[in-house]
Amino acid sequence: MSTIAARWDALFERTGSIRAVAVLRIALGPITLVHLAPFLRDARNGIHYDDRFWEPYAPWMPKIPGSLWSVLLAVGAVSAVLMALGVLTRLTTAVTFLAVATNLLASQTHFRHNRTFLTILLFGLTLLPAGRVLSVDAWWRRWRGLPMLSDRVVIWPLILLRIQVSLVYLASGFSKLIDPDWFGGLVLWDRVVRYKYTLDPTPLPEWGIDFLTWRPLYWFVAPVAVLTELFIGLGLWSQRTRLAAIWAAVLFHLSIELSASVEVFSLVAVAALAIWVTPSTRDRTVRVRTTTPGGRALALAVRLLDWFGRFRLEEPASDEPWLTLIDRDGTRTIGQLAVLGVLTRLPLTFPLAAPLLAVDTWQARSRTGGSDDARTSMAGVR
Amino acid sequence: MGFVAVVLVQVGFAINGYREPHKFFAFQPFNESSTWRADIVRVTWDGERIPIDEDWDYDWDSLVDTNALAGPQQLRHAYMGVGATVDFLDDALDWVATHTPADHDTRYLEARVTYFQNTRGPHYETLRSVERTRT
Repeated sequence: MSTIAARWDALFERTGSIRAVAVLRIALGPITLVHLAPFLRDARNGIHYDDRFWEPYAPWMPKIPGSLWSVLLAVGAVSAVLMALGVLTRLTTAVTFLAVATNLLASQTHFRHNRTFLTILLFGLTLLPAGRVLSVDAWWRRWRGLPMLSDRVVIWPLILLRIQVSLVYLASGFSKLIDPDWFGGLVLWDRVVRYKYTLDPTPLPEWGIDFLTWRPLYWFVAPVAVLTELFIGLGLWSQRTRLAAIWAAVLFHLSIELSASVEVFSLVAVAALAIWVTPSTRDRTVRVRTTTPGGRALALAVRLLDWFGRFRLEEPASDEPWLTLIDRDGTRTIGQLAVLGVLTRLPLTFPLAAPLLAVDTWQARSRTGGSDDARTSMAGVR
Repeated sequence: MGFVAVVLVQVGFAINGYREPHKFFAFQPFNESSTWRADIVRVTWDGERIPIDEDWDYDWDSLVDTNALAGPQQLRHAYMGVGATVDFLDDALDWVATHTPADHDTRYLEARVTYFQNTRGPHYETLRSVERTRT
């Protein structure tokens, strides 16, 4: 019992880097603008939400005057830009959250799951000092000669955010798991058949469209979709399955974006994956010789794309290979596995590099009979 | 405490989604592939039943301005779920009845809803707005 209490207390004392959350903050700025755009368009044309059918969530909820609503949207949009830039970050993040939340709660007709998801993430951001890095605030501090604030902060709000995001996947997946119409494929199949007309103008051949609207296909596809969602919700928690869960999430949201109209959901959900990055920076070292074209390209990729600050770049000693990746536990990888190891930690190259690394690692293990030093030994062969 | 409260509220909403048709904040998207249509009429003070797309100074789609309720005379996908759609339609009838001041003829609005829940049906339901004050 005392162990549980101690672990519970430790949760609120744990510190970590805010860097990945800062990346999320930067992404959520433009996403919020995209989300607010249709409301702003109406407001600019003098149309307020209460000029059309609207319905409060509860009779006791105060009605926001339409004119105040339109001012709030404008303030929210400006604030979202400032939040992304990191100007007065805590204040602008809070204002952005308030604007989005108030709009969401103004009327039942404004409710969408993707808007709620965005609101949850903005709420999480308000609890964290996400402007300490990658922000005008940090630059301004440096410019004035003030000591830089540490990027390490108490991260219980990040844990809270992880729980909330995980619950989103689990709630969605579980509701479909226990619904025979969903798990049996009826809902998904019927939706595809209903929107078949959107497939007709695509370059898909006739047999392809017939296949996509073939009922038995969904006896397989629907359970896979449901189990994928549940796997994402659970798999994100374990270090062993996290990369696979993130990769599945990227694919999952891409497929949703292609097959349904979900407003900003795909953007928000993919951006939210940043919260699952281990909250530490520069804890991996890439020793790469930049005299070779490959080395230069990789060093450039790390400099440009290492948004989460995972790597320290170093020049190798003359007797070292052209590339060595030193992981946070000290494990050294060289050659192709090291290249893939680096690329899996860069958000833009992750979706392609992750399956390649998985295949490479599996091949290496099978060739060495599953030995633990497969990574280094096989990489050494290459 | 705040930490636990936030998690409990979210779990509470998720559970509430099994009871409440709109599934507000419950994260149950794409939950149905149901369809619906409705014949909406204005019932005048002298008992005449006039479809809303005939002889009216107002336009239903502009008044409700939500995709979920637009074009009700066509069989449409109830993308929010049929329960939420019917509930919204019921509220929208009341709202329209009380926000069309230039209409002096209508006593109330009535919608005869036909829906198929995940392809099963048809099911029928009749909704009626609040009664308007005669002007």
